[in-house]
Amino acid sequence: MSVTHDEVLKIARLAELDVSEEALPLLAEQMSRILEYVAQINAVPASEGVKPFVPGPDALRFRADEVKPIPLAFGPEALAPAFKDGFFLVPKLGAFEGADS
Amino acid sequence: MSDPSEALASAKATADRLVKAKRLNACLTPVGELRKALVTQAQAAHPSGVLYGMPVAVKDNICTLEFTTTCGSKILESYRSPYEATAVAKLKAAGALIAGKTNCDEFAMGSSTEHSAYGRTLHPFDKTRVPGGSSGGSAALVAAGAVPAALGSETGGSVRQPASLCGVVGIKPTYGRVSRWGLVAFGSSLDQIGVLGRSVHDAARVLSVISGRDPKDSTCEERDPLRLPNVPESLQGFVIGIPREYFPADLDPAVRRACDRAVRLCKELGAAVREVALPHTAYAVPTYYILAPAEASSNLARYDGARYGPRFDGSADVRALYRTTRGEGFGPEVRRRILLGTYVLSSGYYDAYYRKAQQMRALIAQDFRNAFDRGVDLLFTPTTPSPAFKAGEKLDDPVAMYLSDIFTVTANLAGLPAISLPIGRVKGLPLGGQFIGQAFLEDEMLEAAYALERVVPATEEA
Amino acid sequence: MAAPASWETVIGLETHVQLRTASKMFCGCSAAFGAPPNTNVCPVCLGLPGALPMANGLALQLAVRAALALGCTVHSRSVFARKNYFYPDLPKGYQISQFEQPLATEGSLSYLSPDRGIATATIQRLHVEEDAGKSLHDRFPKHTAIDLNRCGVPLVEIVTGPDFRSPQEARAYLLTLKQVLEYAAVSDCDMEKGSLRVDANVSVRRVGRPELGTKTEVKNINSFAYVEKALTVEHDRQIALLEGGGTVEQQTLLYDAKTNSVRPQRAKEASHDYRYFPDPDLPPLVLREEFIAEQQALLPELPAKKRERFVEKYALSVTDAAVLTADRSVADYYEAVVHAGADAKAAANWVMTEVLADAKDHADGLRVPAGALANLIGLVRGGTLSHQAAKRVFGEVADHGGEPRNVAEALGLIQVADTGVVTGWVSEVLVSHPTEVARYRSGETKLLQFFLGQVMKLSRGKADPKLAQRVLEEKLVA
Repeated sequence: MSVTHDEVLKIARLAELDVSEEALPLLAEQMSRILEYVAQINAVPASEGVKPFVPGPDALRFRADEVKPIPLAFGPEALAPAFKDGFFLVPKLGAFEGADS
Repeated sequence: MSDPSEALASAKATADRLVKAKRLNACLTPVGELRKALVTQAQAAHPSGVLYGMPVAVKDNICTLEFTTTCGSKILESYRSPYEATAVAKLKAAGALIAGKTNCDEFAMGSSTEHSAYGRTLHPFDKTRVPGGSSGGSAALVAAGAVPAALGSETGGSVRQPASLCGVVGIKPTYGRVSRWGLVAFGSSLDQIGVLGRSVHDAARVLSVISGRDPKDSTCEERDPLRLPNVPESLQGFVIGIPREYFPADLDPAVRRACDRAVRLCKELGAAVREVALPHTAYAVPTYYILAPAEASSNLARYDGARYGPRFDGSADVRALYRTTRGEGFGPEVRRRILLGTYVLSSGYYDAYYRKAQQMRALIAQDFRNAFDRGVDLLFTPTTPSPAFKAGEKLDDPVAMYLSDIFTVTANLAGLPAISLPIGRVKGLPLGGQFIGQAFLEDEMLEAAYALERVVPATEEA
Repeated sequence: MAAPASWETVIGLETHVQLRTASKMFCGCSAAFGAPPNTNVCPVCLGLPGALPMANGLALQLAVRAALALGCTVHSRSVFARKNYFYPDLPKGYQISQFEQPLATEGSLSYLSPDRGIATATIQRLHVEEDAGKSLHDRFPKHTAIDLNRCGVPLVEIVTGPDFRSPQEARAYLLTLKQVLEYAAVSDCDMEKGSLRVDANVSVRRVGRPELGTKTEVKNINSFAYVEKALTVEHDRQIALLEGGGTVEQQTLLYDAKTNSVRPQRAKEASHDYRYFPDPDLPPLVLREEFIAEQQALLPELPAKKRERFVEKYALSVTDAAVLTADRSVADYYEAVVHAGADAKAAANWVMTEVLADAKDHADGLRVPAGALANLIGLVRGGTLSHQAAKRVFGEVADHGGEPRNVAEALGLIQVADTGVVTGWVSEVLVSHPTEVARYRSGETKLLQFFLGQVMKLSRGKADPKLAQRVLEEKLVA
């Protein structure tokens, strides 16, 4: 299982991670090695009948429909890197819309 | 302890011990802040609590109101949580003192505590070696005698592996035994808060306090807190299974000797010992390194610089903000796992990796059920394939690093409880052995650990 | 503009409906609309490190009711999945939704197509998910503002097959869907508040061709008024493209109501790879048979059933029954009026005219109690009140309350059925209109209405019209 530089970049875009030019070759090589290593599970014949194993309770529990928020020791304005008039601020989405491909 | 003056004395003594342990870089909380917080907590603690005055350090991926919660990452530098983890709230309600936040591999991804944005933690016996990870800070502080117990977290062995390498006790409870509310998620279907302690008892009583139902975690079981068993006189009636896959031909001979000695002692205590097979063991690490990164890639998507945490430039547009914040805020191992997880979930690869790994997980869990169905109460195995390794030794070889989890990931995949306790030394370095128990039968597992702990020459060469 | 005869439009709809709960889907924050920004937030919906979802039981009950109302098979086991994508109003970087194993599948909804009569849309799936927050792009010059109040509000997504053949049909389906969901009380379906939102898949093909054309997805249709417009714009665009020798590109388009046009959404979003996988924070949603049966029992009679019953039981026309059952509260009101003793047909007329007109002008809805309306109808039927007078009484009761008979008396509207008095009025009218009397007698009998009008005028509406007519006929013949 060999991962190309382009594939790494494509995945990095999907994960919204900057990957520098210099880091790319080593990253591609390491990912290839890891994927090659984990691909050994395919040596076990496909077992269609196997139901996935999920640890924890067998069934979802329900909460009552009550307005009872979990309290915050301090509000979003104290957490946010940029906050104004009650809103979180992020750089304009307009530029985002036009960006790449 | 039930006297307020004793709690205050404990707080001060703990602060002094933590100052002494500073060279290990195991505690991320500045000592001045820590001293003050310990005193404040000692004054406020409930004297009737079962852990009254007991200092418990907390891994930095568990949310506390008292200190920052950085997960060993630059992306959460100076982050303060506006709420606290259920486990922490339960500790405080029981009178325990939160004794600072411990260093860890970034977002608990690693087996050496070298992958921390705040520097590596040193092994308390040998500063050129690693304490294991990812809960290496917790393990090192307990091993150095700074605290009697500390919270860690496990996704693939992150409590037991450093416990083994540092010569302390590490318990990973059954999945769903302890609430994950406030534990920063890595691999949600594998994550559990665990405990590191000087002794089985110290770890167990902390586990008992933090265990039990929590309406805030849908994956936490509706069960009462764990009741601590008595220390048994013998292991009469116990059937201990020895899975042959955990003792491969190329196993370090010293590790084998230590395990053989522990098994002999169990027999002398009256336990029946039987060899068992867990045929899918070889696939556990590959399965784990598909599922955990897949879940991590999604769990770590929230760190984007929009609502909390620092921003790393990227003022041009939102995407630049995301990419620089995530690109610079995450360290190399976290980046690697996010990319890996994104890859195995992406269109065209999901079936071959993620779905297949889900099936493998089911087969691995079935292996354990089969062994337990055949009358085995507990399994005994080495915790780690070797004692503490040198810092830097495995940094450039992710697969080699991943293989240090080879004996621990299975319990996480199957959701089972496990405990590692010291069973000897190899060239002066500690080594652990583990019992893997049946789901929600921590009490049986603890009985066996209590009994073995009393007789095993933990500080002697194997 | 309708599609040129040689083209056929194929439309499928994905409708997001907000469930009527007090709190959010996965946390205890208020789901109410209109709070100051970022005040209905907590660790869960802010996506803080370490926070976990807790499912709202009522939301799941309502979702099951919605599925049953649409005739879906509700699965005893369904799974929440994470839909992964980055967007500033999506705090966790994923939306909790359902993917491979949705709550319900294989339903259908019959609606009245303006083109084909009764038509049936297939409901392919209905699943539960959480809403995202809100991004405001024009609030600040250089920044996008994020409000997370709406983040985590419970929704169901209802997906139809490619079943609609015109924008008009799509709209008719949506109105029927809204009606059913309002009946089932699962949502208030208010498009203005965003509690009902529609995305449409649109393609066109030559009439008679079995295979579907390349589809586009049209988003941002946020009012019922725009549904037809947006879909018409898009099918016109596709037909023009194809007729010009071009091809339709599979893409997501945003409808702009201001310019009545569609424009492509950012390319990035169209090429999303959502990397769905089961949410490890939420065990499978397992619904016992009794739970599903309970929800079924809680469903009221739905509009189609009610319409049929009204036709049958009250001998109403299909059209009248449709008007009366369009709204559950109106239908219930109508039946209450009938149960209070009113004639079914008369009650239908009253409800369809006076009652609905009054309800339209007054936010407080059905202002005349059903019992009072039944009494009023009885007064008309018994000859105590003229229809005209009864309308005045209705208005009076609506505005100020009171018993219809008392109100009518106070207003002096009770009809005079005393033959002596009525004969007096008739005589007076005939005396003062000799020319018309002569014309009548020479055969212009339609003047009877004129005389009747004069009698009513003279009596200030109090003369019993039937009696007045009889006396008039007698006197005119004499």
